[in-house]
Amino acid sequence: MEHELLKGLSSDEVEQVLALGKRMKVPSGGSLFRLGDSADRLFLVERGRIRLTFPMLIRGHEEEVFIEEKSPGQTVGWSALVPPYRFTLSATAPLETDVIALQRETLCALCERSPVVGARIGLNLSFVVAQRLQLVQAMWMREIERTVEMKSAVAAEAR
Amino acid sequence: MYMLLMGLCFTFFGLAVTAVAFAASTRPNSSPSAVQPELPAPKVSPARFFSDQAASPIPVPPQVPIEVLLQQIENHIRLEQAAAESFVAYPTQALLHSKTSSPFVN
Repeated sequence: MEHELLKGLSSDEVEQVLALGKRMKVPSGGSLFRLGDSADRLFLVERGRIRLTFPMLIRGHEEEVFIEEKSPGQTVGWSALVPPYRFTLSATAPLETDVIALQRETLCALCERSPVVGARIGLNLSFVVAQRLQLVQAMWMREIERTVEMKSAVAAEAR
Repeated sequence: MYMLLMGLCFTFFGLAVTAVAFAASTRPNSSPSAVQPELPAPKVSPARFFSDQAASPIPVPPQVPIEVLLQQIENHIRLEQAAAESFVAYPTQALLHSKTSSPFVN
């Protein structure tokens, strides 16, 4: 399986990076991290699913609302590489899931030792971040558009 | 002379009638000291549907269970994410402004 964070690296370089990681099994319904937790490692999904949620106030209660689901090959927890190193979402496994956890210090040390690997990982990470930004931007624009339409319709009815 | 006296009599009689009529028309309807008979209290009309019921609260539809609501939100986000992914893959104004198929907002 090809990990999006390691695209463009040679198989030796991929092995080198994966060797730094720690394989973890998250049980079904288990939590990987919570919003606000210190983010000192990011995760590569190997098997299963990781569900990202965001707390939303619904009827006066805080409920975890679905944001995104990550499948094998995808990266979770890039907040570990971006200051202030705090998770901005919560992550749970809806089914038993295997991930590879990469410590920030270890990964950064490898990138300093091997700038080519570092540059490639940096580019791949920017793709992951940009993809989230572009998706959220489009979704937000569509929601605003709908809100304006609804408000205009209500104002027209009131007239 | 007799005719003159008859005319005067009619004139005085006419004046008297006019004075009495004037006094009757300008007399107040009731004297302030007179005791008014107690009027029966006006009957309160029964409540009318278009006035009283309007103030009553609008019947609220039964609330959707929170689990169902969360599932609806999740389905909506998944559909919107798919629409946003289509836009990001091939950015066009038509894709950005395409109507959502999500029943959550329709």
